[in-house]
Amino acid sequence: MRTSAFRIFFMTLAWMVLAFLLLPILVVIPVSLTDTSYIGLPKEELSLQHYAAYFKDPRWLAATWTSIWVGLVVAACATALGTTFAIGCWYLSNRASTVARWILITPILVPPVVQSLGFYRFWVTLGLIDTHGGVILAHTLLALPYVSISVFAALANLDRRIPQAARSLGASVWQTSWQVVMPAAYPGMITGAIFAFIVSFDEIVGVLFITVRNVSTLPKKIWEGIQESIDPTIASVATMLVLLTLVATAIAIFRNRDLRA
Amino acid sequence: MPRLSDTWRYWFLVLPALAIMIIFYIWPLVGIWQISVTEPALGLDNYTRMFESSAVTTSFVITFRIAFLTTIGCLILGYSVAYVISNFARRVKPLMVALVLLPFWVSVLIRSFSWIVLLGRSGIVNDTLRGAGIIDAPLKLMHNEFGVILAMIHVMLPFAVLPIMANMRGISPAYVDAARGLGASELTAFRKVYFPQTLPGVMSGALLVFVLSLGFYITPALLGGGRVLMISEYITYQIQEFLNWGLGSALSVALLVLTALVILVAARFVNLRSALLERN
Amino acid sequence: MTDFQDTTDHEVKADMAEIAAHKYREGRLTRRGFLSAMAALGILPALGSKAMAQANEIVVVNWGGRASEVLQEVMADTYTKETGIPVTVDGSGPSGGKIRAMVESGAVVWDVCDSGMGTALILTEQGVIQPINYDIVDKSKVLDQAAYSHGVGNYVYSYVMASNPKLLGGNAPQSWEDVWNTKDFPGMRTFRKSVRGMLESATMAQGIPAEEVYDVLNTEDGLKAGIDKFRQLRENIIVWGSGSASQNLFLQEEVAIGNIWSTRAHLLRDQMEDGSFEVSFKGGVIAPGVWVVPNNNPAGSDEAMKFIAHAQDPELQVQWLEMIGSGPANPQAAELVPAELQKYNPSSPENLAQQIFYNDEWYAKNQVRAEEMYVDALIN
Repeated sequence: MRTSAFRIFFMTLAWMVLAFLLLPILVVIPVSLTDTSYIGLPKEELSLQHYAAYFKDPRWLAATWTSIWVGLVVAACATALGTTFAIGCWYLSNRASTVARWILITPILVPPVVQSLGFYRFWVTLGLIDTHGGVILAHTLLALPYVSISVFAALANLDRRIPQAARSLGASVWQTSWQVVMPAAYPGMITGAIFAFIVSFDEIVGVLFITVRNVSTLPKKIWEGIQESIDPTIASVATMLVLLTLVATAIAIFRNRDLRA
Repeated sequence: MPRLSDTWRYWFLVLPALAIMIIFYIWPLVGIWQISVTEPALGLDNYTRMFESSAVTTSFVITFRIAFLTTIGCLILGYSVAYVISNFARRVKPLMVALVLLPFWVSVLIRSFSWIVLLGRSGIVNDTLRGAGIIDAPLKLMHNEFGVILAMIHVMLPFAVLPIMANMRGISPAYVDAARGLGASELTAFRKVYFPQTLPGVMSGALLVFVLSLGFYITPALLGGGRVLMISEYITYQIQEFLNWGLGSALSVALLVLTALVILVAARFVNLRSALLERN
Repeated sequence: MTDFQDTTDHEVKADMAEIAAHKYREGRLTRRGFLSAMAALGILPALGSKAMAQANEIVVVNWGGRASEVLQEVMADTYTKETGIPVTVDGSGPSGGKIRAMVESGAVVWDVCDSGMGTALILTEQGVIQPINYDIVDKSKVLDQAAYSHGVGNYVYSYVMASNPKLLGGNAPQSWEDVWNTKDFPGMRTFRKSVRGMLESATMAQGIPAEEVYDVLNTEDGLKAGIDKFRQLRENIIVWGSGSASQNLFLQEEVAIGNIWSTRAHLLRDQMEDGSFEVSFKGGVIAPGVWVVPNNNPAGSDEAMKFIAHAQDPELQVQWLEMIGSGPANPQAAELVPAELQKYNPSSPENLAQQIFYNDEWYAKNQVRAEEMYVDALIN
C-alpha cells in the first residue's frame, strides 16, 4: 500500500466525514440511558427507566404498531402497483412510457409540504382525513417512485429476447410477465418493498397534515414528543430504531461482502 | 418490437399505478394552483401580496442561501468520501458504504432530534466544552443558521455521496495511470484527469441536494428557532396559524415553479435521466 | 359580511387540553374512579355530533382532550347532581364556522359552547348566537370586561412575563423595558410565533403606560414602533409556536426570559428548580374564554343559561384553576384560591390591577397586517 500525503489526506478526511455521519446518530444511545428525567448524559448511573416508560405507555406502543402495519400494507400495495407499472414500461420502452416514468417519480421532487397541502384538501373531500386508509393511500403514492426505480433497474439486466421468445412460443402477455419477467425483477421488488416500508414508517410531514386525533404513527408521536416535553423516552425510541438499523446494516454488509466490486 | 395489440396490454400494466398517481397526487397539486387564484377571492391578489411582502422575499432568500450552503458543504464532504470509497478502500469498502447508507435508514426526525440533543444551550456539546473548561458561557449552536445548516448537511450528505460514487464507478483507472506514467504527481493527475471526469456525478449530487434542501421542512423547523424561516415553514405557518390557504397555496406554487426551474436549468449540465430515473 | 378575522385563540384552548392531559399522565391529578377509567382508555367522551340532543339534556362543547373530562367532572356532573338534568361534554371544538353551519342548517345539537371573544363578535354579527340572559346569569359573578351582550366569560388566561433569575445572575426583570435591556439582562428571550399577546409588551417596553397601549397601537406610528422593538431584539429571540414549546425552552434553559401563557407558567413553577423561575403579571395581558349559546339550542335558552350560571360558582372555578391552570372569570373566586396558587391566578385582585384586557376588536382589524410585519421584523 503506497502511503502518499495525498492518500493520507483524503483517507483522513473521508473517515472524519464518516464519523460526522455516524456519531450524532449514536448520541441518542447514552441519552436514552440517562438516570435524569430530562435530556442529558447519565449523571451517576445508567438507567433503563425510559425504556420502561416506552413499553408501559399504550400510546407509544399503539403508535409503533400502527406504523408497522401501515408500512407493511403500503409496501405490499406499492410493490404490486409499482412492479406491474415498471414491467409494463419496460416492455414498451418508448417515449410515452418514459413520460409515464417521469410522472411516477414526481413525489421525490415535490416539496413535502406542498404535496401534503394537496393531500389535505383532496382528502377532505374524499372523507379520508384522520383515517388509516387515507394515510395508506398517501404513503403508497410516496413509495411508488422508489419501487418503480428499483424494479426498472433490476429489469435492465434482463435480456429482451427471452420474453420475446416466450411470446413467440405462444405465451400470453400475462403468462410471460408472471413467469419470465417478474422473476428477473425480484431483487428490485424486494429492494423496492423495503424502501416502501421505510418511506411509510418514517414519513412525518404528510401525517401532520392529514391526521388529527384518531391516527397516530410513530413519527407523529416522536414529533409531538419533541414539541411537547422533550423527554428522554424519545431517546429510547430513537435508540431502538437506530440499533435496529445498525443490525440490519451489519447483516447487509456481511451478505454483500463478496458481491460489491 | 411489440406487436400493436400487445401495446395495449402493456399499457394495461402501466395504467393502475399511473392512474392512481395522476388522480391522487398530480390532480391535488393542480388543486393547489386553483386555490391560489380563488381563495379568498378570484384573482391574482395572493401573488401580488406575495411579491410585495418583504417577509416572503426574505424567506426565499434564506431558503436559497441555506440550500446553497448545504449543497456546497455536502459536495466537499461527500466528494472525499466517494473518492476514497471508489479508489482507496478495498477491504473496508462495504463498511464505508454501509456507514454512508446508515443515516439514510434513520428517519430525518430522529437525526434532527440528535442534533437538538447535541447543540442545545444545555446540550451535550456545550456541556462537554464547559465541563472541560474550554468555554465559560454556552455557545449559540442552535436556533440559528449555523445549527440548521450543520444538521441539513448531515441529513443530505448521503444524497450527495451516492450519485458521485455511481459516477466514479464508471471511471476507468487507465487515464490516471497514463497521466502518472507520463510523470504527473498524484495531485496533478487528480486535478487534471480524474476530477473533470467526475463532474457529471458532482452535478447530479448537487442538483439532488439543492432541490431537496429547497423544499425541506423538518430539520429547519426543529432547529431554526422560528427565525430561520424557510419557505416550507412559512407555508405551514400561513396555513396552520391563519388558515390563509390563498397565500399558502400561492407560496406553494412559487416553490414548485422555482424547483422546476432549478431542474430545467440543471438539465443543461446533468443527464437528468441517469440522475433521477435510473437507480442511483 | 364583515372582514373581521376570527381572532379567537383556539390554540390556547387546545393547549389547556394538553396540559390537563399531561397532568393526568403524570398522576398528579388524583380523582378516583373517573380518572383511572379515562386514563386507561385514553378516549374522549365525545357525543356523536350527528346525534340530536334530547330536550332534557344539556350539551356543552369545548376543545377536547382532558379539558373535556375535567369540564365533565367539575362543571357538568355537579350540575347534574344539583338539578338532575344530565349534561354531556362534547370535545369536538366549537369553532365559529361549525356553530354557524349548525344554526343555519337548522340542526343545532349544542347548547353551550366554549368560545372566544373574537368568534363571539363574528357570530353576533352573523346573528347565530343568543344574547346572554343576565336575569339568570349573574353579571356580578363575572369580571366586568368579560360580560358581553352575546357571550360571557368562563375562565381567563394571561400572557405573562416569565424569567429564570439563575441565568440572569439573580436579577429578575421587573418590567418589559427590562426585558428589552439586553445589557443588564443578557440572554435569550422567547416570544410567540404570532403577534397576539406580544405587541402589547413591545409597546409597554417603550415606556407607554398599560392603559394607553391599544390607543397607541391604533396609530400607524405606534404599530410600527412596536414592531420595530422586535426588530431590535431579534438576535436574542427564539420563537415559541406551542404552549409546550414555550415550557420546554425554559426547562432546557434555552431562554432566560419569556412572554408566555400563564397556564404554562403555572406548570413551570413546579418543574423548575427553586429560585430559577419567576412570574410577573405586571404588564400582562389577560384574555377570557366565553360561553356562547347558539340560536335554537335543543335544551332551550333558559336551561343553557342556568348551566352557565352554575359554572359561575366560585368554588368550581377554583377547582378548574387547580386542574387546568386557567383562572376564574368570577371575581369572587379570587378569595377562595389557596395562597400558593394566588400568585398564578390571572384574576386575583393584585394581578388584575397590573394587567390590561386583550382587545379583540383591535386584533380583528389589525392582526393580519401586524402578523406580516412581525414575521418580517423577526427574520429579516
